[in-house]
Amino acid sequence: MDEHPVRLVVEDDLRRSRVTVFFRLLLAIPHFIWVFLWTVVVVLAAIANWVATLALGRPPDSLHRFMCAYIRYVTHLGAYLWLAANPYPGFVGEEGEYPVDVTLPPPASQLRWKTLLRVLLALPSVFVALTLGGLGAVRVPYRGTGGRLGASLGGALAGITAFLGWFASLARGRMPKGLRDAGAYSIGYSAQVLAYLLLVTDRYPNADPTALLESVERPPLHPVHLVGEAHDLRRSRVLVFFRLPLAIPHVVWLVLWAVAAVLVSILVWLATLFTGRPPAALHAFLSRYVRYSLHVYAFLYLVANPFPGFAGVRGSYPLDVELPGPERQNRWVTGFRFILAVPALLVNSVLGWALGVTAVLTWFVALGTGSAPWGLRNLAAYALRYAAQLNAYVFMLTDAYPHASPLEGAGEPQLSFDDAA
Amino acid sequence: MSRSLAARAALAGVLATAWAVAVWLLWTSTTVPALHLPHLDPHAYFSPRQLSAAASYSRLERVDWLLATVATLGALLVFARYGLRWARESAAGRMGTGMLLGMLGFALLWAVQVPFSILELWWERRHHLTSIGYASLVLGNWLALGGEFVFLCFALAIVMGLARAVGDWWWLPAAPAFIGLALLFAFLNPWLTSTHRLEQPALRASAARLERIEHVRHAPIEVESVHDVTSLPNAEATGIGPSRRVILWDTLVDGRFTDREVTVVIAHELGHLAHDHIWKDVGWYALFAFPGTFLIALATRRRGGMRRPEAVPLSLLVLVGLTVLGQPLQNIVTRHMEAEADWSALQATHDTAAATGLFVRFVPTTLSQPSPPTWDYVLLENHPTIMQRIAMVQAWRRYATSVAQSP
Repeated sequence: MDEHPVRLVVEDDLRRSRVTVFFRLLLAIPHFIWVFLWTVVVVLAAIANWVATLALGRPPDSLHRFMCAYIRYVTHLGAYLWLAANPYPGFVGEEGEYPVDVTLPPPASQLRWKTLLRVLLALPSVFVALTLGGLGAVRVPYRGTGGRLGASLGGALAGITAFLGWFASLARGRMPKGLRDAGAYSIGYSAQVLAYLLLVTDRYPNADPTALLESVERPPLHPVHLVGEAHDLRRSRVLVFFRLPLAIPHVVWLVLWAVAAVLVSILVWLATLFTGRPPAALHAFLSRYVRYSLHVYAFLYLVANPFPGFAGVRGSYPLDVELPGPERQNRWVTGFRFILAVPALLVNSVLGWALGVTAVLTWFVALGTGSAPWGLRNLAAYALRYAAQLNAYVFMLTDAYPHASPLEGAGEPQLSFDDAA
Repeated sequence: MSRSLAARAALAGVLATAWAVAVWLLWTSTTVPALHLPHLDPHAYFSPRQLSAAASYSRLERVDWLLATVATLGALLVFARYGLRWARESAAGRMGTGMLLGMLGFALLWAVQVPFSILELWWERRHHLTSIGYASLVLGNWLALGGEFVFLCFALAIVMGLARAVGDWWWLPAAPAFIGLALLFAFLNPWLTSTHRLEQPALRASAARLERIEHVRHAPIEVESVHDVTSLPNAEATGIGPSRRVILWDTLVDGRFTDREVTVVIAHELGHLAHDHIWKDVGWYALFAFPGTFLIALATRRRGGMRRPEAVPLSLLVLVGLTVLGQPLQNIVTRHMEAEADWSALQATHDTAAATGLFVRFVPTTLSQPSPPTWDYVLLENHPTIMQRIAMVQAWRRYATSVAQSP
């Protein structure tokens, strides 16, 4: 696939100033005022740009430059706010001056029908961007008790990584790489969405984490990682149309299995605490459960095509998970496992929103084309990988903490809690 | 003829005789006095407009059912022939693939029935019998497929698991397993419906009195709220043992029927409980489960038997085909039990005016045809016709008079 013209450049060294981290929101207040004013102007300029691009077939140079500066500025501000970068950003969106930056294409001819329908066409990517949080959180209105209208926070991967990263940065003076990568990914995708919306390019945003973070070093290989055939994007339309009802028997079975898994995990927790190692038979049982849940979710969320089996057999499904054996585990990490898992649970919950949105979008696309979009498939696979790592951690299969980086790991496993997030 | 063939024929004969005896015993356990029901002219009870409206309504309902049944069987025929190609979409092993094929077969049935369901809904809405929206119907049925799939997978797991264990004889242990499930469902069914207590004190007092008269151990009378989806009146006796109860739809107690008429309905439903009709229902199911599963086993042998997923699409066709073919027999059985419950209600209430009024009122409220065509009666009617029920009221009146006058 061709390289996307909007590319994220990450040169951040993960070091953070504790003082600026502590006061980050307050320090950003001038930027909030400035970005508000700039956004008002950009909305008006975007309308003019749209009319001009429709008429000329390409955006005028001056407006294009203005839009590029705005996108860069928003990217810098987002990186600062979500703790994906450390230095205080400038106010004019200078190119190449910030550790998390974005390269944008020069003005080029654009198809007029795509320009005409740009806002409509951009809607799916806006939904994805909202769940990732690079543009802000999704506020889901609901009617609470007494008929009061309230709103809940849904999605916002960047928000949750910043929240967790704030504590970690204050404690260690460094941003955990996994959280930084996740935040940078959200910001990068949002930049692509903005570029598409503001007619900087007519290339559709690509949610593929590997493509977006190609300038970022891959994390160490986690002992729990995905294996299988990622490139088979074919989807049977019949199975897609009936995906939800077809998955329900699996969901029922998964719930029953989960009850047993929870009970068994308590035994494993006690055994691991005393012997330092999970019993092999129970470890194998829980490994099957974790693998089966991945198969079911991969099917339900359209990350893979075929109907999965009910036994969680290794290698039986195109998207599978590699799990470690019953190895020795750190007793401290075992003892406090459920408390330590809370941050990962938060990350997992927002990734769940992204997973849901990608599934809905993939459902429509796959029903029409018989194929899953590569970018959405990989975003969903990232969410599933994280969920599998979390499951493996909570169910005592490993003491390696889930790694939040959207990038697949490379090289030797690194199991330290400090370096992962 | 070889000796083994003769032995088999003899065994089959013994089994068939035992089955026939069981059918006869079960049939005769439900008793309605041998009455000569008078032939009644519907025009004496209903206005020409009412008869015309009921006939017009029923006509399209019948056509819709006929077309839906033909389309269903046609679709299953095609699925039995070509459905196996979906096996390539499975990574679930033999049993899981069988489940997938079974679910896809049901999904196909849903898809085939969508236009007929919409037509039926349109017709019911046009006659103000329901207020369900089209989107709710389609989406609701689509989501309801999930529940059906769970039961289907469970059933296929039993069948395919047994077929793997005992080969072509799977039907022998499978039939009792399904009978057990039917019994379990009959027991649990009342708790799957959301109901509330019957409010009217007069009706509650009548129900208590009828329980004594009909010798029914106390069964709660409850009301199910359905008025937001339908205006059709209905009631049912449900449950076995501690779960027994009578459930009235709230459309029956919304003021369109008098208390005396509702009392007849309660007496009818208590009649079902008094004569153990739920148990007998399961008994009839048991009698048909053995030959039914045997025929499925026989039909799927050419595809390797039910242990193989290839047999699943064909088994669905056989199952649905047998269900359609067995419908007239099932209707005979249920009509027989409904007649006994009607008789029981008349014996308990002695209120022929209310019973006649109730049956007469069913025509404008449900648009049922008082005397439908014979083929409709045979294939679709699981209750006696309205005219048969009114005739039974008259027959009971004569019977009661003769009993009273006899020395």
